[in-house]
Amino acid sequence: MLDKILYNTVLCQAYSPCGKYLVAGNIYGQLAVFDLDRILNPVVELLTSDYNKPKYKHNLESGNQICSLVTTDKFLIIGTVNEIYGWDWKAILSVKLSKPSWQIKISSKTSLEYIDVNSLWLSEDREKLLAGCGDNNVYIYNLEDRRQISVLSGHDDYVHSVHGKNDQIISSGEDGAVLLWDLRTAKSHNKIEPYKNNKVSRPDLGKWVGSASLSDDWIVCGGGPRLALWHLRSLDVTTVFDLPDHGIHVSYFHDDCVIASGAAKHLYQLSYSGEIRVELPVSATTVYSAVLKSNPNVLAIAGSSPEIDLCTSFNYRDQILHFR
Amino acid sequence: MRRTHASITFLYDACLSLFNLFESNLYICKFLCTTQYTKTEYKMGKEDVSAKKRRKINSSSSTSEVNKQGPADIYKRVVEFEETEAQLRSAEKDATLFKKICQDVRQMFSDIVELKSKDSDEAKEKINSKRVEASLLLVALKKLNRLEKVRTRAGRDALHKEKQQVDSTHLLLQNLLYEADHLNKEVTKCLQFKSKDEEIELVPLEDFYKDAPKEVSRPEITKIDEHQLQLARLEWELRQRRELAGACNQLVASKERVAAAIAAARSRLDALSPHLRDVLKATKPLQECLAMRLDEKREESKAASLLPSPLFLLYANSSAYSDALGEKTVTVAISGDEDEARRLEQQSSVESDLIVSNDSDSDQENNDEEQREKKKRHHRTSKVSKEEKAEAKKKEVFRKHPLNVQITVKVQDGTALNLIFSYLLNLKIITVKFTVSLPKPVTGVSAADVLNGNCILHELYSSDNGNDSPHPATAYLLKAAGIPEGFQYFISEVGKPYIWAQRMCGLDFMATVIDDQKNNKLLQPCPTLSVTTVEHFILTLRKRLKSRVELMKELQDLETGKISPLDGNSWPIRLSGSLTQWQSVGWPEYIQSPSTTFLISEGLVTQNDLLYRAIITRQSAKLVALVALKSDYPKKAPIFSLTLHWNGTHHSSINDDIRDIERVINTDWCLEDNKQPKLSIQMTKLLTYMDILLETSGSSEFPPDKVMFSPVRGRNRIKPYKFLKQGTGVFVQF
Repeated sequence: MLDKILYNTVLCQAYSPCGKYLVAGNIYGQLAVFDLDRILNPVVELLTSDYNKPKYKHNLESGNQICSLVTTDKFLIIGTVNEIYGWDWKAILSVKLSKPSWQIKISSKTSLEYIDVNSLWLSEDREKLLAGCGDNNVYIYNLEDRRQISVLSGHDDYVHSVHGKNDQIISSGEDGAVLLWDLRTAKSHNKIEPYKNNKVSRPDLGKWVGSASLSDDWIVCGGGPRLALWHLRSLDVTTVFDLPDHGIHVSYFHDDCVIASGAAKHLYQLSYSGEIRVELPVSATTVYSAVLKSNPNVLAIAGSSPEIDLCTSFNYRDQILHFR
Repeated sequence: MRRTHASITFLYDACLSLFNLFESNLYICKFLCTTQYTKTEYKMGKEDVSAKKRRKINSSSSTSEVNKQGPADIYKRVVEFEETEAQLRSAEKDATLFKKICQDVRQMFSDIVELKSKDSDEAKEKINSKRVEASLLLVALKKLNRLEKVRTRAGRDALHKEKQQVDSTHLLLQNLLYEADHLNKEVTKCLQFKSKDEEIELVPLEDFYKDAPKEVSRPEITKIDEHQLQLARLEWELRQRRELAGACNQLVASKERVAAAIAAARSRLDALSPHLRDVLKATKPLQECLAMRLDEKREESKAASLLPSPLFLLYANSSAYSDALGEKTVTVAISGDEDEARRLEQQSSVESDLIVSNDSDSDQENNDEEQREKKKRHHRTSKVSKEEKAEAKKKEVFRKHPLNVQITVKVQDGTALNLIFSYLLNLKIITVKFTVSLPKPVTGVSAADVLNGNCILHELYSSDNGNDSPHPATAYLLKAAGIPEGFQYFISEVGKPYIWAQRMCGLDFMATVIDDQKNNKLLQPCPTLSVTTVEHFILTLRKRLKSRVELMKELQDLETGKISPLDGNSWPIRLSGSLTQWQSVGWPEYIQSPSTTFLISEGLVTQNDLLYRAIITRQSAKLVALVALKSDYPKKAPIFSLTLHWNGTHHSSINDDIRDIERVINTDWCLEDNKQPKLSIQMTKLLTYMDILLETSGSSEFPPDKVMFSPVRGRNRIKPYKFLKQGTGVFVQF
């Protein structure tokens, strides 16, 4: 039998608060810590053949897949199955992973049901943690005492992603709905269903929406339906991005651009009008995570591959990391 | 004045002697007239002349008795006088005097010429006086001349005398030198003299004093006198040697006695052998009656003694296993030309001494042959002969020992693998060929390949494919023989040189390479290595054979489209797809498919693997699975590479769903037991996963048939490939 790591799939990535490390979590419950400093500014004399391999590789005790990662100044928050863990960054950056600093349990109704924490989002004031979960709900926790503040329920299937801007929250789900919420009232006030819009729907890929993001005026979302730019107030499709993809899993705004990828051979940087600015080839069959960091600029693209692509200029692939 | 006086006295002397001479001359003239003696006689030695004169005078007349006495004496006296005078006067002075007189004479002549020209009387007078004077001077000249003659003679005599003396002394000196030289030679000869006794090896001094009896060693004398010591030691040596010679003779005699005894015993034994043969012959009917193979075995062991040592080791060890495990599992036999082997053995025993020098010889031969060939080319003989020669050389290099060992390994159902081990005499390696015998013919092409193809022995031990010679020297030997191709080129001809085959015969080339630095010994088969390897090999091979037979059956089923995963028990899930094709594919076809790029680049599938293509169809969907079986299946699970043709073409590097199925089938992820799954189980799983994939796609063509909690889960929208035995069975995500 082959080693399962050959078929590795990375679902999420995060940078350490100091910006020197990149952590990536895969479906086998493994957490890889890459030393970006060593990889981006290699000292030729000290270069070994495994320089592009993880500096540390931690295994979660449960072995459950790591679905989402988000970082605060102190903690790395890991969303797996039925649990959200908070690990001190110091523990993550040591050779052996100790016990988590805290954990939040998401109780399921039946023992057979597994609730994936598909998406984690931290409110801009860094006080609230939002978790989009496999039980169709978005949970809001107070990060200080980790108590559940409220539940956003409105999806008919599991939640793919959670994102927000100011007090506005957006979530997308397998049911094909994109819901807009008010963080203060915890109520859904708007809803779009891209699969019902014949400009963007792709019935052969399904109705699911893999990713949705907010800016001040715009929504970008895509999944089974095409990636499209929606106007926040009118909730109309403004731009339909014509990409040769088989499903969108990543989409967000960055510097007046939309960055998007998924089951495609490239990661795209797109203008609001629909032009493709940059087409970045990727190693992964499907991209599940593309995380950005500024100063210095690093874009890490990971997905269903043991390889993680690193770009510093957004124009070409600089390095390939091996998560194996 | 003094000079004039001297000249006058000299002149007087000269006159006197001239007068004397004159007188004697007159006398002589008188006799000359009478006796007719020739002047030559007169010119003989003066003593002689005078003696003769005396005699003649005596004989001529007695009248002038007084006168006769007188002139002889005078003559003698004159001679003596002149001789003494010549001695007394210095020659130099005479020479100057002579010159002066000559000058005077010349002066006189010139005066006379002058006077003559005057032609007066007075002059005539003067001329006369001058003439007299000149005459007188001539007389003086004559005297001087004579004196000089006398002096010269005296000097010559003296010189001659001295010369003789020098000669004699020189001779004496030569004699003495010769004598001295001779003496020196004698001295060195004496110094270089070596006594015979110095060559004799003597007992050391300490031992001599310790062992020799007092009367021989006589320490009181020998300790002081070295010569005596030497003599004593020699005496002791002689005594001892005599004793030893005596002992030696005794021993030789006893040896001869023993030899005679041995010869007698041997002749008796020889006489015994015909009897034994008779006895053996007599037992034959009994053996046949009881169906015993005693004779055959005896024959075989006789042949075994002719085997080269590596093959002998193999034979000995494997026949031991054959005895232990029973003939149903392992049989061993020797085949080949025994006579040829016997001849070879005789040859090699003769040549064994020459082995070492062989290499250089062969080089020389090469050169010779080349030259001969060149010559031949000149004679325009056909090119064929050269090729033939090369062919012969090739044959010589790859010459096998005429005998080979055959090991047959059988498994329960009657499938047998017959291995033929041959020994290459010159390359010193073992090669293996094999045949498979099946109890019943195999239906199906790919199934038959499993047992018949070369791959059955592949990777029996890791990375041992028998594709190149394990002996490091092979390449060199081939090059030395002028064969440009590598050993691989000839494998189909000679058989495969598997490393396990070498080890079974006790040949360990790695060990020799390491040993080389220490001592360059000839390659000796190691018995212990052979023992352990043979045991392990037979077990491994049986296991391989068993698994191959099982695989063959599996493949046979697959080829007919039948999948029977659990022996007898049916799979709990209804499968909607069906296996429509199963066939073996080649490496080029395998690498052509885009789905295999990843497996090949990771080195997970190689050319040595068995490759198959399975096609599974369900309605409009077609799943093509390229299956790679490792040689040591089922120790290593088969590797699947999938391509789905439905709504376009999908494979693992562009579609995550296919990648997920490959992950579940190929990897050890969430495998309950660590047992490697069999091919048919994997195929069943593949059919199931295909059903799930198609049913979760939401297409109306494939109505959901399986029970599953949720068709997709997680951001990666993974399908439920995990089967839980709950109720009728539920599929969940991993």
